[in-house]
Amino acid sequence: MNAPRSIDDYLRQLRAALAGEDPALIQDALYDAEEYLRAEVAAHPDKSEADVLELIASTYGAPDEVAAAYRDTEAKVKAALKTPGPVSATAHPSAWKRFFGVFLDFRAYSSLFYMLLTLATGIVYFTVVVTGLSLSFGFAILIIGIPFFLAFIGITRVIALGEGRLLEAVSGERMPRRPMHPGPSAGWLARIGEMLKDARTWTTLLYMVLMLPLGIVYFTAAITALAVGLAFTALPFVVLTRWFGWDGDASVFSDDAHIGGWVLSDHSMISALILGVLGVLIITLLMHAARAIGRGHAHLAKALLVVPGG
Amino acid sequence: MDDSQARKFQKDLNSGLVALVLLGVLERSSEDLYGYEIAKRLQRANEGEALFKEGTIYPVLRTLAAQGLLTSRVVPSYSGPPRRYYRITEDGRAMLREWSGIWRQTRGFVDRFIEGTDA
Repeated sequence: MNAPRSIDDYLRQLRAALAGEDPALIQDALYDAEEYLRAEVAAHPDKSEADVLELIASTYGAPDEVAAAYRDTEAKVKAALKTPGPVSATAHPSAWKRFFGVFLDFRAYSSLFYMLLTLATGIVYFTVVVTGLSLSFGFAILIIGIPFFLAFIGITRVIALGEGRLLEAVSGERMPRRPMHPGPSAGWLARIGEMLKDARTWTTLLYMVLMLPLGIVYFTAAITALAVGLAFTALPFVVLTRWFGWDGDASVFSDDAHIGGWVLSDHSMISALILGVLGVLIITLLMHAARAIGRGHAHLAKALLVVPGG
Repeated sequence: MDDSQARKFQKDLNSGLVALVLLGVLERSSEDLYGYEIAKRLQRANEGEALFKEGTIYPVLRTLAAQGLLTSRVVPSYSGPPRRYYRITEDGRAMLREWSGIWRQTRGFVDRFIEGTDA
C-alpha cells in the first residue's frame, strides 16, 4: 500500500484495512482518525497536507496499524460488555426452559419497552422529516434555504445516532458510537451536493418516515397483547377473591364483572383457570415476539442508518 | 529482524500500560481533554522515539469510557468533526490507584532481576 498523501487518502486506506469489520466499528475508527488528522494539519499551517501526512505513519500510525488496534480493542470490549444471554445452565436447555426462560432475558424487557416507545419516537421522526423536507423545498429559493437544509440534515444525523445508541442498548447490535463524519470541509454548496449524493442521507429519511407506521404497529401489538394477557392472567385471582367475598359489597366489581368480555360468576373457576393459563401464554409469546422484533428492527436500522455510507 | 522483535515486545507491554497512562493523564489534568490533545501531551512527555502510535489510544479511550472509568462529551469544532472530550470518573480514579499499585509492584519486581541489585 502506498503511503497516503492526503486525509481522504488515509481514510480510504483505513477503511480498506478494516474491510469486513462491523460497519459501526469502521465509522468510529474513521471518525477518530479524521479528528486527529484534521487537528494535526491545522496545527501545522506552514506545512502542506501531504507533508503532514508523511509523518503520520510514525505518529498516529499507518492505516493497517491503526486498523489492528481497533480490531484488538473491539474483540476485548465485546467480550467485556457482553450481556449474559438468557440463563442456561445446560448446553441444551429443555423446550420448557427455553420457552419461559425469556422472562429472565433482559433484552425481552428492553425490546418490549422499545416497542411501546416507538409510537412516540415514530411520530416525532415523521414530523421532523415531513416538516424539514417541505420547508427545505419552500426555502430553497431563499437565502436561508441553504443553512436550513444543512441544519435539517444535521438533525437527522443526530437522531440517527441517538436511535442507534438506543437500539444497541435494546438489542445488543453494535451501532456507531460517534456521529457520521461530515466529510472533507468544503463550501456550503459543495457540502449540500455531497449530502444529496450520499445514499445514507436518503435512507435515514426513509427510516424516520417508516418509523411512524412501524411505531403504530409495534405499539398496538404490544399494548393489545399486554392488556389481554394481563387481564386473562388476573382472572383466576379475581374469581378467587369473589369466592372468599374479599371484594366486599361496594367492590370494584359489580355483580357481573366483565373482564376481557368474560362474565364472572361463582361457577366459573375452571374457565377462569383455563383463561389464566392462556393469559400467561400470551404474555410469554409477547416477550418472545418483542425480543425477535427488537433484534429484527435493529438489523433494519443498521441497514438504513449505518451501512449505506459505510 | 531485531527491530521488529523490539516492536513486538513493546506492543505486548503497551496493551495494559496505555490504559494506565491515559487514566494518569486525565487524572492530572484540570480540564477535559480530547484525543488529539492527549496524544500530543504524551508525545511531548516522551521526546524522541514514541513508545506507541497515537492512533492506538483512541480505541483504548473508548474502552475506558465504555467501562465507566471515563465520561465524555462531544463539542463541535471548527477544524474538523466534533471533538469528544474525556474526563476521569470516581470509578476511574479508584481504578487508577489500584493499577498504579500493581504497576509499582511489577516494576520493582522486574527491576530486581534486570538491574541486578538483588539477584
